[in-house]
Amino acid sequence: MLLSPRREVGEFRKRYKWMALFAVIVFSVLIGRVIQLQLVQHDEWAARAQENITKTIPLPATRGVLRDTAGRIVATNRPSYLVYVTPQLMTPEHVDLFADLMSFDGEQRRNLERRLREVPNRRRTHQIEFYDDIDREQLAALETHQNELPGVDVVARPVRTYPYEELGAHVIGYVNEVSADDYVVYATPERMEEEQIALLADILELEGDARRELVAKLSERSRESVEVLRPPTPQQFWRVFSAAGALPGVELVAEPLRSGRSSRGEGAEESPYRPGSVVGRMGLEAWGERFLRGRAGYRRVLVDATGRRQMIDPRLARSREEHRGPQPGMDLVLTLDMELMNTVKRAFAGHPSGAAVVVDVNGGRVRALYSKPSYDLNGFIAGLSHEEYHELESNPFRPLIDKTLYESYFPGSTFKPISALAGLTMDDFDPNARVECIGYYEIGTDRKRCTSAHGEVDMHDALVQSCNVYFYKLAEDVGLERLNDWARRFGLSQRTGIGINSEASGFLATREWYEEHYGRYRVGYTLNTAIGQGNTRATLLQLALAYGALGNGGTLWTPQIVESIREPDGTLVEEFPTQARRDLQVPEQYMDLVTRSLFGVVNAQNGTAYDARIDRGVTVSGKTGTAEISPGTPRTDIDPERAWYFNRSHAWFAGYAPTENPQVAIVVIVEHGGAGGRAAAPIAMQVLQEYLGNQSTTAAVTAQAGGRARPGRGG
Amino acid sequence: MALVRTMRDQFDWGLFVTSCAIAVLGVVNLYSASSAAGARADIYIQQIYWLTLGAGVAVLVVAIDYRNFERNAWAIYGAGIVLLVLVFLLGRSIRGSTRWISIGGFSLQPSELMKIFLIIALAKYLHHDPKTEGRTLKDLVVPGLILAVPMGLILAQPDLGTALICAFIFGSIMVLTNLKLRSLVTLAAAFVFSAPLTWAYLLKDYQKGRLIAFWSRLTGNEADILDTGWHTHQSLVAIGSGGVAGKGFMQGTQNQFRFLPDQHSDFPFSVWAEEQGLLGSLLILGLYVFLVIWGLKIASQAKDRFGAVVAVGVSAMLFWQAIINVGMVCGLLPVVGMTLPLFSYGGSSVLTTMIGLGLLMNVSMRRFSHA
Repeated sequence: MLLSPRREVGEFRKRYKWMALFAVIVFSVLIGRVIQLQLVQHDEWAARAQENITKTIPLPATRGVLRDTAGRIVATNRPSYLVYVTPQLMTPEHVDLFADLMSFDGEQRRNLERRLREVPNRRRTHQIEFYDDIDREQLAALETHQNELPGVDVVARPVRTYPYEELGAHVIGYVNEVSADDYVVYATPERMEEEQIALLADILELEGDARRELVAKLSERSRESVEVLRPPTPQQFWRVFSAAGALPGVELVAEPLRSGRSSRGEGAEESPYRPGSVVGRMGLEAWGERFLRGRAGYRRVLVDATGRRQMIDPRLARSREEHRGPQPGMDLVLTLDMELMNTVKRAFAGHPSGAAVVVDVNGGRVRALYSKPSYDLNGFIAGLSHEEYHELESNPFRPLIDKTLYESYFPGSTFKPISALAGLTMDDFDPNARVECIGYYEIGTDRKRCTSAHGEVDMHDALVQSCNVYFYKLAEDVGLERLNDWARRFGLSQRTGIGINSEASGFLATREWYEEHYGRYRVGYTLNTAIGQGNTRATLLQLALAYGALGNGGTLWTPQIVESIREPDGTLVEEFPTQARRDLQVPEQYMDLVTRSLFGVVNAQNGTAYDARIDRGVTVSGKTGTAEISPGTPRTDIDPERAWYFNRSHAWFAGYAPTENPQVAIVVIVEHGGAGGRAAAPIAMQVLQEYLGNQSTTAAVTAQAGGRARPGRGG
Repeated sequence: MALVRTMRDQFDWGLFVTSCAIAVLGVVNLYSASSAAGARADIYIQQIYWLTLGAGVAVLVVAIDYRNFERNAWAIYGAGIVLLVLVFLLGRSIRGSTRWISIGGFSLQPSELMKIFLIIALAKYLHHDPKTEGRTLKDLVVPGLILAVPMGLILAQPDLGTALICAFIFGSIMVLTNLKLRSLVTLAAAFVFSAPLTWAYLLKDYQKGRLIAFWSRLTGNEADILDTGWHTHQSLVAIGSGGVAGKGFMQGTQNQFRFLPDQHSDFPFSVWAEEQGLLGSLLILGLYVFLVIWGLKIASQAKDRFGAVVAVGVSAMLFWQAIINVGMVCGLLPVVGMTLPLFSYGGSSVLTTMIGLGLLMNVSMRRFSHA
C-alpha cells in the first residue's frame, strides 16, 4: 500500500460531542429567530408585505369653477404638464436628448445632471417628479420623442388659473398646497403601547413637562383620538410621516381650514387632504373650500419593488385592485359682475391706489369689490419668489391689503347723512333752521374749520355743500351717543357678515373709550364724529350697504357674494336668498329730506359733486367726502420725499343710482386723492354711467323726461 | 465487484438522502425565485447542470480512497494557491471584486474550491503532527501560515465572506486539537485587536455601511431601512410574512414582486421561508442540523486523523455557511455575500459543496477499512 498509515484519532474523540452541542445551540438560536419572525411577529410583517405591493394612486378631484353673475369664468383649472424621470433609465445619451428637447442651457443642464446624481440608489428605479408646468414646445418635443426616452414620463395635472389675473384678487383668493403647518398630529391612546408613546415622544423631541403631559394624555385607555400637536414643525412632520409604520395609533390629518373637528373615531371620514393637494387660502377660494374641493378618488394597484404596476396573478396579493373615481368639486356662482369690475378698473386709471364697492340696493348682492393696487393671482399659484413677495409687501400702496373690507377708514363727510338722520329723528329738531357758517366754529377756545364760509345754511344746504359748521352745531345738540346709535343702525362698527377675508368691523368711539384713551372726554370729539372724523372708522362695504339703505328707503341688507352653488353640470345645489338685516325705521319725510339733499350734491349747481355729474346720463345721488389722515400721526414708514402724498386726505364718494329707482349703491375711495368731489366722484359717475347707462337706459330716459327737481324714490 | 459491494454495504444513506433533499428543495425553490418578473428564468436549469456536474465529481471523489488526497495534499493545496493567483492575472471583475476565472464558457470561483483544499492541507498537517499535548502558539505557526496565504489572496479579491469562512474552518479544526488555554486566549485577543484595524484598512465603504445598518437594526433604530438596511428589511418582511404555513409555492409576493435582492444566491432562504412558512423553514434548518451532526459523527468514526479532520472541516464549512447565511437573512448578522450550501444558486458553490460531501462520504465509507 502506498497510502500513508492510519494515525491515532483518539485524541479528538472527546471533542465531537461538544462541537455537536455547540452546533445544536447555535442552530437553536436561528430556529428561535425564525419562530419569532414567522409565528410571533407574523401579523406585523404580513402587513408590511402587503404595504410593499399595494400602491394607492390618488386621483385628484377637479376643483370647482368660480363664475360671476353673468357666467363669466373667474377661476378655473388648466392642464399643466409635469415631467417624471426614472433615473435608472437615463443613459448619458438619454440625458443629452432630454436636455435638448427641453431646450436647456448649460446651467439648467448641469442642474439636471446634479439632481440625477443625487437620487439615492434605492429610488433610482422610481419615477420622480423633476419638472412641473413645462411649456407647449417642451411638451410637444417630449411627446414626439416619447419612445426614445423610456425614463421620461409626462403627466398632466390641473392647475388653478384666474383669467382676470389681478382683478378682484383679494375677494377671489387663491389656492396652494397643504403644508406641514396644516397638519395636526392625532393619537389614539388605546392603540399605543408604552414603548410607542415613548417613541412618539422621541420623534417629536419632547422633553420634561411636555413629555410627561404627552405620556399622561396617551396613557388613558381611550378609544377617541386625541390631539397631540397642532401644527408640527416640518421636521416633526416628516419624522412622524416616515415612522408611520411603527406607530399605528398615530395619524397625521391635514386640517387647513382650522375648523374644529367633529367626532372622529367612529365613522370618521378620511381627511380630504394629502401631501400635494391644494386648498383655498383666501377669499372665495377659502370660503367655498368644502364645496370646491370635491372628493379625491384613488386607484389601489399592485406594484413591484420598482414601483411599476404588475399584472401578475392577483391571487398573489390577497387583495384586489380597487378604484374609486374622484368626485369633482361644485361650482360657485358669484354675485360679482366682472365686466363692472373692469369698468371700475378703467375708471381708476390715473390713481395709484384706492378701492370701490358696488352693491345691489335691493338685496345686498355685491357686484364689485375692487381694491387697487392688486396682484396677479396666477403668480401666487406658480409660487412667488422671495423678492416678488417682498416687493408686494413693501409696496407703500399696500397691494396685499383688501381695501374693500379688511381696511377701514374715517368715513369723512360721507358720514353726514347719518348725522343728519340722528338729528332729524330728535324731537324739536327743525331741519329748516338756519345756521351761519363763517368758515369756522368756535367751541371753547378751539376753532374748528369748515371747508369755506357757507353763510346761512339749513340741513339741505349743509349736506349739498358739505358744511361742517352746520354739523358741528348739530352734534352739540344730538350728542355722541345718538350719533353712534344711528351709525350702528346703519351697520357701522359691526361686521357685515359677508363671510370672507376676516372682514374689519370698523369702529365707533364712545365717551368711555375717549375717557380711557384720551384721559377725558371733550365735546370736540363729538363734533368730529358728526363729520366722519374723530375715531369713527368704516369699511367701504359697510358704507355701501348704508347708502344702499338710504337708497331703498331704509332696509339694511346682509351682503351676499355667492349667488348659488351648482354641480359641474349646472344642477342647482343651493341657492342663497337675499337677507335683510334690519329695517331702519326712518320716518319717510326725514328720509326724503336726506335723499333729496344727496340728489342735490350731484345735481345742484352748488353741490360738491356737481362738476363730476354726467349730463343726460344716469341720475346719481350721493355724498362726497374728504377724510383727513389721522391728524398728528402721519405715516413714518415712507420716505419723507413722498410724505406729502401720503399725508393727503382720502377722497370719498358714496351714493346710489339711478336716483328715481335706485339699483346699486357705490362707494369709491381714492387714497390720498384729495377732495372727494374732484377725485372720487368722477370715478363713481363713470362707473355708474357705464354700468347702468347700458343696462337700463329707460330709467335714465324717464328721469330726463320727467325733469323733476325732486325725484321720488322707487319702490 | 468488491468495490461495488463495499459501496452498497457501506454507503452512507443518511448523508446521501439529506444532501439530495437539500439540493432538490433548492432547485424547487430556485424555480420559484427565477419565475419572478424580470429574473433569469433559466437559473434552476443551470443549477441542475451544476448539481449533475457536482454529482459526477463527487462520485469520483468517493471512488478514490481519501488517503490518496492525503498523499497529494500539498499538490492540491498548491494548485489552489496557483488558481487564486491566476484570478489576479486572468480574472473577471464583477461589481468591484475579481473572484472569477473563465474556463471554457464557465466561470469558476477558485476561492470556493480553496476552502476544500485548505481543509485537506490542514488535515494533512495535523495528520503528520500527532501531538496530543497542548498546542502552544508556536505550534500554530505552520497551520496559521497554511491559512494565511490563501486567506490573504482571497481578501485581496476582495471576498470577505469566503475569507471569513476559511478562518472559521481553521478555527473549528484547531479547536478539535488540544489547544492550550493561553493559545486560545491569545488568538481571541488578536482577533479583537485586529477589529479596528480591519475596520480602518480592510473594509470597503459598502461593507462598513452594512455593519452600521446591522448595528442600527440591533439597537432598534429603523431609520436607515431605506438605505443600506433595505435588503435585510425586505428579507425580514419576506420571512415574517410567510407565517406558519407559508404563502404557497410561487405565491410569495416579496419574491415574485422582486423585493428580495439576490434571491438566488444570497437570499434563497427568504424565498423559501416566505412561500413555505415556518414548517418549511424548520425543515430546511433541520436538514442542515442533521447534516452537520452527521458530519461530526462521520468524523468521530474516522479511522485516522486525516479523515477526522477532513470530516470536521467539511462539517464546519457547511455549519458556518448555513449559520451565517440564515443569520444574515434573519437580521441576526450583518449582510455579507455568503451562499447557503446546495440551496443557493452558484456553480462554484455547488461544486465545492458536492466535493465536500463527497469527501464526507469517502471518510464515512472507509471507516470500516482495515488497510
